[in-house]
Amino acid sequence: MILEVKNLQKVYGDKTVVNIQDLNIEAGETVGLVGNNGAGKTTFFRMLLDLIRPTSGEVLSKGENVMQNDNWKNYTASFLDEGFLIDYLTPEEYFTFIGSLHNLSIADVSAYLTQYGEFFNGEILNSGKYIRDFSKGNQVKVGIAAALMQKPEILILDEPFANLDPTTQIRLKNLLKLQAGSMTTFISSHDLNHVTDVCNRIILVEKGVVIKDFKTDENTLKELESYFSA
Amino acid sequence: MLNTFLSHQWKSFWRSRNRGSSIAGQIVLGFFMLYFLVLALGAGFGMQFLLPKIFPNQDVIKSFNGLILYYFALDFIMRLQLQELPTLSIIPYLHLRISRSKIISFLNLKALFSAFNLWPIFIFLPFIFLKIGTTYGIFTALMYVVTILSITIFNNYLALYIKRKSISNVLYTLVGLIIFAVFAALEYYKVISVMAASDYVFKTIAKMPFIGFAFTLAAVAIFYINSSFLLKNLYTEELSSKQEKKASTDYAFLNRFGRVGELAALELKLILRHKRPRSSVIMGFFFLFYGFIFYKEKAIDRDAFGQMMFGAIFMTGISIIIYGQFMFAWQSAHFDGILANKINFKDFIRAKFLLFTIGCTVITLLASFYGFLSPKLLLLHVAAYLYNIGFGTVVVLYLATLNYKRLDITKAASFNYQGTGATQWLLMFPYALTPILIYVPFGMLDKPYWGLIAVSIFGLIMLLMRGFWVNYIAKRLELQRYKIAEGFRE
Repeated sequence: MILEVKNLQKVYGDKTVVNIQDLNIEAGETVGLVGNNGAGKTTFFRMLLDLIRPTSGEVLSKGENVMQNDNWKNYTASFLDEGFLIDYLTPEEYFTFIGSLHNLSIADVSAYLTQYGEFFNGEILNSGKYIRDFSKGNQVKVGIAAALMQKPEILILDEPFANLDPTTQIRLKNLLKLQAGSMTTFISSHDLNHVTDVCNRIILVEKGVVIKDFKTDENTLKELESYFSA
Repeated sequence: MLNTFLSHQWKSFWRSRNRGSSIAGQIVLGFFMLYFLVLALGAGFGMQFLLPKIFPNQDVIKSFNGLILYYFALDFIMRLQLQELPTLSIIPYLHLRISRSKIISFLNLKALFSAFNLWPIFIFLPFIFLKIGTTYGIFTALMYVVTILSITIFNNYLALYIKRKSISNVLYTLVGLIIFAVFAALEYYKVISVMAASDYVFKTIAKMPFIGFAFTLAAVAIFYINSSFLLKNLYTEELSSKQEKKASTDYAFLNRFGRVGELAALELKLILRHKRPRSSVIMGFFFLFYGFIFYKEKAIDRDAFGQMMFGAIFMTGISIIIYGQFMFAWQSAHFDGILANKINFKDFIRAKFLLFTIGCTVITLLASFYGFLSPKLLLLHVAAYLYNIGFGTVVVLYLATLNYKRLDITKAASFNYQGTGATQWLLMFPYALTPILIYVPFGMLDKPYWGLIAVSIFGLIMLLMRGFWVNYIAKRLELQRYKIAEGFRE
């Protein structure tokens, strides 16, 4: 068990945004979090990453509470939104910086980035722009590539498919499928097709509560569609 | 790692969007900084000559000692209002493989980069080396330096700690200033003397220099308290100032103006719900005291309205000038929305005229307390008021159609020059010179009251022509809209 969530609650005013009693993620699982706006997906991710203090309960990463120490940072990479990017850097500067946190030399980083030429579609490296000057889609690509570069054991992405063009969506799916088994991936998405395609486990949340939690099979997409159209 | 953080900060400073965009703005800003620097250095080196003049009957070192605690009290109050919490800058690092303690040392280090920590060095150090050093010897002078630096650092982290723990606002600063004024008054009437206390403290340091390390200990203590608080509360949601519950509001008094009133209400909400426009408006109230500089007894006796005109125009029109200089740019974040929606340009402009008129009327009414100085000033204010709402508003709105700079209105106004360009500085000339030019011939013919009437009539005529001006500016806006919208998008 790589991630355990116990009685996790986040309350704003008189509104409970997240209320997850018990949730365990095994190493190597690819988990998709689905739910409508306001289901508490992003708040939940923020608590996984210790960016928000839970009202009660805890998140254990490899058995250690993420609030107590920083060990989880050694094997967890994430991209939730543009706030994660240092937007006044060029992409190269940003990648080098992230690489240096994981003891990667500049040469390691550029070697790593060469395999992303296709993913970046030639628009990101050597573009002479700061990250903030990119379109939203390209910013997302920088964030995802930087997260994957850390060779994490746990990867957390919030709506990675949003803002991406169709080609990149497919490439990202292939990238994620390639890592399946070796990496624990936790993604949220509004796109039911994509999550059922990529993930082997789906967690459905509504108003902060887990409604369904099941392994994907050929009927999953239909099941989800019927749930959301009801 | 700290080096990397600092290099990122350096880049963030030089690559910030509003940098390099306007050279004129930068030069003006540079001059301001140079001016303050020279002032501080001048005060530092001139202190041995100034102090005997201000406090003629006491020893110069006693006066110097007495001022130190006063300075730091004021320094602390100003820090509470002006010093920024370096919180937002850590967001991109929180999820990365960087330990919390490193992020905290970065926050602590960053907090030291504040002008507040420079002033004491410029102001006190010259005197310490020139006078204390020669009187008490170099070791005592060094301990003075240690003490001054320790108090600076103490103030630095205590102010940040308090700001982090509570919602600091203008009210606290006002209360602080009032307490400060009360102590100064008590000092003046010789009830309690902070100066004597301050002198006592530093006399002791002169006698037993090692006592100075007590302040160092205090500084180290507050540093650790601050760091351990950060360690336990490293959540951006909790470190930035706390959120109040938001409610929908309706401004009933604006409803009678129909569509125009709705637009004005929209803008009023924009002002009240964002830091920067709100603090510009609050600054406007401070300018109500501007009259005490301009309304000299001599000038009032001689009916020299020409001299006082500038003060009057500035004071009654301050809401128009300060808010108006960034007209349209306040709405830069949603300017596309305004263009894309069904909003008539004329209504849009009329709403701005309406807001200006309301603001100017309120300020003019408040300024009527100058009537106690002399009732003549009320006549001057009426003339200035009519000019402001008649013509000043037109000048400001016309210039606004030439402003294409985006504005981030969530940041505070003090020392924020974002969106400032040459236009804003040029704004003052036609605005302030027109009424003075109208007045001058009458002043020279020694008919000051006719001069006031002329300015008033000019304002009234422009006010009656408002329909024409609305059409004119709406047309300008229609012509310029693509350029403005493009500039606001960047």
